[in-house]
Amino acid sequence: MQVDPKRLARALNPQTLVVVGDKGPNFQWLENNKDFEGKLYSVQVDPNEIAGIEERGYTNFTKLEDVPEDVDLVICAVPRNVAPYIVNDAVKKHVGGMVIFTAGFAETGEELGAQLQERIIEMARAEGLPIVGPNCMGVHNARLGVKFTADQPKVGDGNVSYITQSGTHGASLSMLSPQLGIKVTRTVSIGNAVVLNEADYLEFLRDDPDTHYIGMYLEGVKDGRRFFEVLRETVKKKPVVIWKGGQNEAGQRATRSHTASLATSQALWDGMMRQVGAIGVNTLDEMLDVMACLVHNKPPTGRRVALMAMTGGQSVAISDAFGRASLDVPELSASSYERLGEFFNIIGGSYRNPFDMAGTIGMAGDPGNFYKILDILAEDPNLDSFVYEFSAGFFIRQWRGEEGQKQLTDMLDGLDRFRERVGRPLILVVHPGHLEAEILPLKQELWRRNYAVYGNFDRAAIALSRVTTYYEAHPPA
Amino acid sequence: MSDPIATARAAGRTLLTEVESKELLHNAGIRVTQARLATSADEAASIAAEFGFPVVLKVVSGDIAHKSDVGGVELGLADAGAVRAAYDRIMASAKQAVPTAKIDGVSVQQMATPGTEVIVGLTTDAQFGPVMMFGLGGIMVEVLKDVAFRIVPLEQRDAKQIIREIKGFPVLEGFRGKPGADLSALESMILQVSEFAASHPEVAELDLNPVFAYPDGAIAVDARVVLAAE
Repeated sequence: MQVDPKRLARALNPQTLVVVGDKGPNFQWLENNKDFEGKLYSVQVDPNEIAGIEERGYTNFTKLEDVPEDVDLVICAVPRNVAPYIVNDAVKKHVGGMVIFTAGFAETGEELGAQLQERIIEMARAEGLPIVGPNCMGVHNARLGVKFTADQPKVGDGNVSYITQSGTHGASLSMLSPQLGIKVTRTVSIGNAVVLNEADYLEFLRDDPDTHYIGMYLEGVKDGRRFFEVLRETVKKKPVVIWKGGQNEAGQRATRSHTASLATSQALWDGMMRQVGAIGVNTLDEMLDVMACLVHNKPPTGRRVALMAMTGGQSVAISDAFGRASLDVPELSASSYERLGEFFNIIGGSYRNPFDMAGTIGMAGDPGNFYKILDILAEDPNLDSFVYEFSAGFFIRQWRGEEGQKQLTDMLDGLDRFRERVGRPLILVVHPGHLEAEILPLKQELWRRNYAVYGNFDRAAIALSRVTTYYEAHPPA
Repeated sequence: MSDPIATARAAGRTLLTEVESKELLHNAGIRVTQARLATSADEAASIAAEFGFPVVLKVVSGDIAHKSDVGGVELGLADAGAVRAAYDRIMASAKQAVPTAKIDGVSVQQMATPGTEVIVGLTTDAQFGPVMMFGLGGIMVEVLKDVAFRIVPLEQRDAKQIIREIKGFPVLEGFRGKPGADLSALESMILQVSEFAASHPEVAELDLNPVFAYPDGAIAVDARVVLAAE
C-alpha cells in the first residue's frame, strides 16, 4: 500500500488512543497503556465488560464514532469475525491508524481467516488506513508510554527502534534493552504485515529523527525487491541489524539450472545482506550484543584492537576470540613498548598486546600502573578499538569492603576518562565466574555507565567485528 | 542477426539450445566459445575450418539432456576428416540411444584451452527478482555448494565481493606456484551478465558453466538460457 508517512507518523506517535474490545479480568490493553501521556479511551459494547472498564477509571463508549475527538491510533482486540466492522468504523472516523491484535486470519491457512483478512485489506487500502498486523502485538512508543506489554520501558530520549515479526521477540528486545543501557524509541510487532509491510516500516524508520539505530526480526519479506532497495538506502543513513529467523526453510520451486537449484532463500538473503552492508545476526543475544556495541561507542575506525586481559590464559583466549572474528591484534608502537618496559612486570605478565596485566596493576601490583597503561594506549597510533576484561572472579575479593569498592570506582572512573579521551570504542568483558551474584552489581554499574559489556570473549569479538564491518562499508560522514 | 529468443518463442520453447544461448550472449558482448549448428558432416567440417582446429562437436536435441551419456560429445577434433567422422558417429549413437529424439544436428564449437573452472549464473527469485550467483566449477559447486549471491543489478564493488566471498577463492588467487585467475576479467563478465539480465527481463535463468578462467582473460565454454514462461 502507498503509505502516507505523515499518517503513519500520527499512528505511531499517537495523542489519542482507543482500545476496542478489551476484556476482563485483566483488561490488558487498557492496563498496558495506563501510563500513556495522551488521552486513552475504551470502546466496548458488552455491559459485563463495561463495568470493569469504568471501575478502573477508563472512559468507555459503545461506538468508535462516539469518541468525541480525533483518534490517532485504535488498538483492536475484538474476535476475528468482528474485526472487519471495527476497521469499517475506523475508516469512517478517519483514524490515524490501527493495530489489529486479533489473530485467526490468513496465518491459520483456513478459508474463513483468509477471507476476513482480504476484507480488511480492501477497506484499509481504499482509505489509505495504515494497519499494523493483524495477528500482532502492535505498537510500543517509549516516549509516549504506548505499550503492548506492561514491562516495556517508558523513556524519553530513545534512539533505537525495533521492528519484529514476532511479538515475543519484540517484547524481549524492548524489555532487555534498558538494563543494557540501550534506549528504545519504539518497537513495532508487525504480525501478518499485510497492509503495511516490512519495507514500509523500514522506510518510516529511515526518516524517523528519533531512530538512529534499527533492529529487525524477520522471517520473510512480502516484497523482497522493494525491501532490498529501501534497506540499501537506509543503511547509508543508519545501521540496520537484522535477525533472520527461519533459516532452514527449503527452497520450493521447479528449476532447470544449477543456479536456480542453489538459490536457497537463506543463500540469497545472506548475499543481499552483504550487498547492502546491513548487519546480520542469528539470535536475540547477538542482536542485543551488536546494538550495545553500536549505541555505546563511536564508530570504529578500523579492525586493530588492543586487548587488555588480566592473566596469561585470558590473554591467549581473548586473542583467539578476536582473531576468529577477523579483528587484528597489532603490535604497539616502539615508543609504547619503550614506555611500558619502564614499569611493566613481565614476570608472569606481558604487554605485547594482548596484555597480561594483573601482576602489574592489581593483586601484587600497583593500581597506579593501570592509569599509566591507559595513557600509553591512548597515545598509541596503531589502535582502533579497545577491550578490557575484568577477570572479576579473581578480582572480586580485592573489591570487597569500603577500600576495595573505592579502588574499583576509581578504576571505572579511569576507564570513563580513557574512553572520553580516545573517542574510540571501548568494550568490556565481565565473565560471571563462580560468583555470579556478587559480580552482577559490577555489570549493572558498567551498564549504567553506558558500556557494552559481554559475558565472554567471543560475544564481544563478534559484536565488535560486525559493527566494524558495518562502518567499513558505510564510513561515518 | 537472428534473434534466438524470438526463435525459441516461435517454437514454443523456454529452453534455448546451447547454440542459441551462446549466440544471445555473444551478441551481448559476453565472451563465449563460438558455436554453430551443422546439419551435415560437410557443413560441420567447413564451420570447423572457419573457427580453427581443434574443435568440439556436441549433439543438438531438445530431447537429450545429458549429451555425453549418449555419445553425443567429441572433443579435440584436429582436422576436417576427424570432424566429418565424429559427426557421423554422434548422429548414429544419439539416434541409437534415444530413438525417439528429434535431433537438429550437431553444434561445432571452438575448443578452449582448459582453465580454472567457475560458474556464473542467474536466476529469478520470487522475492528478490533477478539474482546472480558465482562459484568455482565442478565439485565445489556440485557437492560443497560453495557459491555466493547478489541481487541484480550488481555494482563493481558487488562483482569484486561475490568472487572473494566463496570459500574456494584462494584457488583463484593461485597457489603452489600456479598463477591466479584474471579476476578483473571475471568481474567484467559478472557485470556484463548483470547488465544482460537487467536488459532482458524475459530471461529467467542462465548458467555459464563452466567458464574457463585464465591468468589472462576468461571465456564461457557452455551456456544455458531459460526464458520465463510467457
